[in-house]
Amino acid sequence: MATMQLHEVNTHGSHIYNNPRHGLRITGFVVLVVALAAAPLVAGEYQLHALIVSMTFLLPALGLNLILGYAGMLSFAQMAFFGIGAYSSALTAMRWGTPFWLNLIIGGLAAGVVAVPLGIPALRLRRYSFVMCTLGFAVIAQTVAKNLVSVTRGDLGLSQVPRPRIALWSGGFEVTGITSYYYLALTLAVLAVVAFLALVSSAAGRYMIAIREDETLAASVGTPTWHYRMIAFALSAVFAGVGGSFYVHYFTVISPTVFDPFYANTVLVIVLGGGVGTVGGVVLGSFLFVAASEALRIAPDLRMIAYGLLLIVIVFACPEGLLPLFMRKLDGLKGRTHVA
Amino acid sequence: MSPDTLAALSIRGIAKRFGSIVAVAGISVDIKLGEICGLTGPNGSGKSTLFDCCTGLQKPSTGRVYAQGLDITGWDMHRIVREARVIRSFQKAVVFRALSVEENLVLCGQMIAFAGMASTFGVGPASRHRVRRLREQAGHLLELVGLSHMRHATAGQISFGQQKLLQFASMLMPEPRVILLDEPMAGVNPILIDRMMENINRANREQGITFVVVEHNLDAMKALCHRLLVLSRGELIADGAPDAVVRDPAVVEAYLAG
Repeated sequence: MATMQLHEVNTHGSHIYNNPRHGLRITGFVVLVVALAAAPLVAGEYQLHALIVSMTFLLPALGLNLILGYAGMLSFAQMAFFGIGAYSSALTAMRWGTPFWLNLIIGGLAAGVVAVPLGIPALRLRRYSFVMCTLGFAVIAQTVAKNLVSVTRGDLGLSQVPRPRIALWSGGFEVTGITSYYYLALTLAVLAVVAFLALVSSAAGRYMIAIREDETLAASVGTPTWHYRMIAFALSAVFAGVGGSFYVHYFTVISPTVFDPFYANTVLVIVLGGGVGTVGGVVLGSFLFVAASEALRIAPDLRMIAYGLLLIVIVFACPEGLLPLFMRKLDGLKGRTHVA
Repeated sequence: MSPDTLAALSIRGIAKRFGSIVAVAGISVDIKLGEICGLTGPNGSGKSTLFDCCTGLQKPSTGRVYAQGLDITGWDMHRIVREARVIRSFQKAVVFRALSVEENLVLCGQMIAFAGMASTFGVGPASRHRVRRLREQAGHLLELVGLSHMRHATAGQISFGQQKLLQFASMLMPEPRVILLDEPMAGVNPILIDRMMENINRANREQGITFVVVEHNLDAMKALCHRLLVLSRGELIADGAPDAVVRDPAVVEAYLAG
């Protein structure tokens, strides 16, 4: 019975506080950032493109990690918020020529603002009903993008979306080369990870973990649970919206296919496969699963089948995700060194 | 039926019905400030429902609850804890299993240290200082309940009895006025029961905290409580000194019948 309980304990998220591996995590993060910063020296254009796409998907994945891994709610609305961020950012940039930084804010805010009226009814639902509600929202978002032709140009989508313009307001310079895009994406990814870590290690982050663990118990120690679930939901949308904004100014096109379940699934795979409730796992997941999806393009006919098989293998090999598996292996190695 | 504004809890005609089933049938009672009051009765007598109605987990069908004159009827649970300083425990959900022992305590102290919602998002030196203070307070409480050596253990991995001690320490973090304990001794070994009773007595004596304790262990109740209330079928059937109450024929009959 005692060992049963041991296995049932879900320690996701608790690593934030007083973790003996804190030093290792910081070192890992710094090494990764330095390696990524040096990547353009060795990587070709196509590899850089794949890395940019990975870092773009990192944002909605962090958002999903917040709501699923910390507040404990599964949402399929992430890519809908990503799309809302992309469309709103593209439309303002096309109409008013707003600079890149402002577009990012607009994309993030638009998604966050839409999340609030959705959250008011949806967050009263429990578990599967909430999941269904977010799924329904994603379908509605796609339908709107397809049919509000006067604004979104329907299935044609928006094209010739301005490239990122780095300026305080007007003027400035335009980001065009792949290397410049790459560094822009890297900066954004680093900022997003830092913001995420700050959030989950704050008192608010502790409340979110409490809600995931046991909502009634959380309320009994003074947590306004509904408010924090709403905040987690809106912030997860903001992360996705900012990601969508970057995406649209990189690809310079956007169409309703962004709302396809495939993309929503990719984000889910990144979070669950990498390690839900961990930050390193989501970062790892973003690079690995986007890279795997790109690498499998060498066999286009079998690509999706191979991708699906890879997921099944991962689920069997490490149900908690790749990062927890990796950490356990690391602990195992340490244990052996002690014995030796 | 006016409330006693000096009472820690003044319960006035609380009833709770689920369709045609009456869980609590109109109870009025005052819990005096500073007392340790036991609440007992056969299974299904309405003890937990009464607790739930006093702490916001359920809304009473009729009746009102006052905490030192403050009408808290129908408030959300988190507001009752924050504003009336009435906190409760649960039988099953004891601790936040994924968090460390220390983090459980820090979490429970947050409502005081980070009172405003905006402050909970802070990550600067001021926030770190507040958390450090909470950790100090937590260290002190862990010493009192005898769990210092488990400070960094994951709460879900310590024994159930130790979890109950941790739960008790957690409830002291937000400096409550009233603590409602739902079966604090169920599933706890005899040595830890003694320690739990000692802790309740000390918190009552030194911090003046009022306790209402739901418990089936009558020996423990006689030793611990100043006063004992007995419920049967949603009604209050006895109220008085523990020794006298357990000999009350109505109480004996309720237990034998229940």
